[in-house]
Amino acid sequence: MNLDELLYNTYGFSSFRPGQREIIERVLAGEDVIALLPTGMGKSICYQLPAKVLPDSILIVSPLLSLMQDQVAQLKKMGEKSVVAINSFLKPEDKERIWSTLSSYKFIFISPEMLVQPFVKQKLKQIRISLLVADEAHCISQWGFDFRPDYLRISEILPHLNFPQVLALTATATDKVTEEIKKYLALSEPYVYSHPMDRKNIVYDIKKFEESRDKIEFIKEFVQKYNGPGIIYAGTRKKSQELSMLLTELGVSAAFYHGGMEHQDRVFVQQQFQNGELQWICSTNAFGMGVHIPNIRHVIHYQLPTSIEGYVQEVGRAGRDGQPSLATLLYAQGDEALLDSLVMDDLPTQHEIEAVYRHGAGALHLIDQGIVRETAMRVISYWMTQLPVEGVIKQMELLRSGKRQQVLKIRELIGLQGCLRSFIVQCFDQQLGGKPDNCCINDGIDYDAFEVFSPSTEKHFPLQWQERLSVILPI
Amino acid sequence: MLFSELILAIMKAVNRQRTISSPYHLIKGKKSGQTIQDIGYFSLYPYFGVLPKLDKKAYDQAVQRLFAEGCLLDNDQVVDLSPKAMDLDIAASPLNGWKYRGNENLFFSRLSLIVQTFSHISQQEKTFDPIVINEEVQSWVKKYLKQIDFRDLAVAQAFKKELFTTLTDSGISETHKMIVTERLTGLALSGLTWQQIADSKNLLLLDVQLMWVEALHSWMGVIEQSKPPLLFGLMEGIIQQSSLTETAQRTKKLFDKGFSLEQIASLRQLKTSTIEDHFVELAMNDPFFNYTAFVNPALFEAIIAESRSRKTKRLREIKEHLPEASYFQIRLALAIREEQR
Repeated sequence: MNLDELLYNTYGFSSFRPGQREIIERVLAGEDVIALLPTGMGKSICYQLPAKVLPDSILIVSPLLSLMQDQVAQLKKMGEKSVVAINSFLKPEDKERIWSTLSSYKFIFISPEMLVQPFVKQKLKQIRISLLVADEAHCISQWGFDFRPDYLRISEILPHLNFPQVLALTATATDKVTEEIKKYLALSEPYVYSHPMDRKNIVYDIKKFEESRDKIEFIKEFVQKYNGPGIIYAGTRKKSQELSMLLTELGVSAAFYHGGMEHQDRVFVQQQFQNGELQWICSTNAFGMGVHIPNIRHVIHYQLPTSIEGYVQEVGRAGRDGQPSLATLLYAQGDEALLDSLVMDDLPTQHEIEAVYRHGAGALHLIDQGIVRETAMRVISYWMTQLPVEGVIKQMELLRSGKRQQVLKIRELIGLQGCLRSFIVQCFDQQLGGKPDNCCINDGIDYDAFEVFSPSTEKHFPLQWQERLSVILPI
Repeated sequence: MLFSELILAIMKAVNRQRTISSPYHLIKGKKSGQTIQDIGYFSLYPYFGVLPKLDKKAYDQAVQRLFAEGCLLDNDQVVDLSPKAMDLDIAASPLNGWKYRGNENLFFSRLSLIVQTFSHISQQEKTFDPIVINEEVQSWVKKYLKQIDFRDLAVAQAFKKELFTTLTDSGISETHKMIVTERLTGLALSGLTWQQIADSKNLLLLDVQLMWVEALHSWMGVIEQSKPPLLFGLMEGIIQQSSLTETAQRTKKLFDKGFSLEQIASLRQLKTSTIEDHFVELAMNDPFFNYTAFVNPALFEAIIAESRSRKTKRLREIKEHLPEASYFQIRLALAIREEQR
């Protein structure tokens, strides 16, 4: 069978992107594969194409609901009808139909918490699975920046499914994380494809200030100097709104985006950005997943990211088209102190762990009473099923030191004298294969590579409802 | 109508007889006995459930603003409207909450997806990310589009024409119409967020959301009346046949079979007070409700007379002067429609 032909017939692409062919060939050869591909490098093709050849269902475990929805939508958009998403939002009336026809679906997306429900397990046992895909596999690692305890449950299901062939996909993984993926997914000798993390067209910049408000001044100047499209990662919801207002007042088109907005509003902002109706998005880290915009020129971090992995993932949304893009990290003295508390706040405290263990099944009330935080509860309730109380406390200590390590890396990045690119690449246990001319602030940046601001790019917006309707429906 | 005007209109209607949190429950569409019966007592039908997602904090802020502006006054346990607020000329609102029961959202979801489809298909764009992810709405729209033969350009044009005509005919302001169209999205023009719309019109978020509901209620009314062939199809299942809540309907069925109030309570494993709430709701909605099973005609007349002479619908006040009447009997009597009295 000819892979190029298959690719062309399925997607209309005439060539693979780097890595895709190697990964797909190994998958089709029946090997377990761990694939590290940067975001935007076409990860989903790596299981969608084999699905055309493999006889049975593809089971895709997806840790994030929004991600799952996005992938299902993408598949449907391509005309694939044999897709089902199994998550806790499934309606009772749909369930029966899905369970009775489960084996007929080519693509079965499932959330980790559904995976281990006895009934679901039973159903999955009865069907034939050609390939199990662990999407965002780094979430399985407690060393990863995005650890999701629920994700560890994949390892519980493997024996029930008779250890199917596995494809683990992730955009970001250090050696340590890769080792954990191997361990939890019981992959003895997987083929590991590791794409160079470095994106040559992204230029790394850091701007240091004495005070926070200097950062605001910088952004004001910046958005009037350069054209978007760009993302400003603001840290908090409130800040994202403030920054967006600031830009709008300057006459630069901007909107904010965060998880507190209703779904429809978030889709509108994405569309506006995609349509070029907006130059800037001021956002929390909620923005990015499922956003396919190739020409993002700037990613600005108003606040320090909490890990290098997270930083690289956010920065990686820029320049998917291969054109020069600038990543600007803003730092004001004292920011790192904030960072410490931000990172540690996520983890359950000893006090919380003990309280949950004391209350056993009734522990959920502790959330309402404000004794245990919801995020903490999620972490504890997983570990409760695995370890005694002392073990969990120890486990959290481990996690905490892991997070401290990540923060240290960020501090190191800020204080770095040498090349930022080399440092970042080393964080992923990779070697830098040559530097681009426009590399990073410490090696010198040629800012002329970035398009200067031109207000003329602003679109005209209809002022009357009749005109608006006519633009939407020009028929 | 602005959100603050909505609060004032409701406070005015309940005429010092309810607390400041009662508009909140009404606007959210709380289906409790108290809220449902107040709708009947004070004729609050238009406002029921018009903003089901209303946030308590946002509501409290709006109330605080009204106090600060001197529209609301604290007066020993009750909230008074200041003369300034009483004089305020609040324009009649096209709101029709009791009738549409939040189904304007369903109507608009369907419309959004249809408009988005027409926008793309007519411009030779075959794929797009659907603006509505609810699968029920998606499959409804798919079926609908197939039925009307949507690929025919003439159909798309006719649909557009119906949009223009019906929206023009709905007696709402240009701002209202603009808000509705700004929530629609197409190939070359994306919808706007609530905040973007509010900022562009110098309004508050809640004002825009309320005006959007007003616009839809009015628009849907026009569509219901003039029955344009394409748009009328969107009204399928939008208007509830019965204005009763589902649970009250179940109680009614049992009552019609001859079960008593107490029997219904034990059959349904609900408190008697809950079943009482259902009967109050029945009384409010059914112009032929026969109250004599619960309160004898003489007592009924006495309750009505007491309420009239004292100009009050406060249960405690009436009970003080008619101790022989139970609270349930008073509530029921007050809920009976005027025309039946």
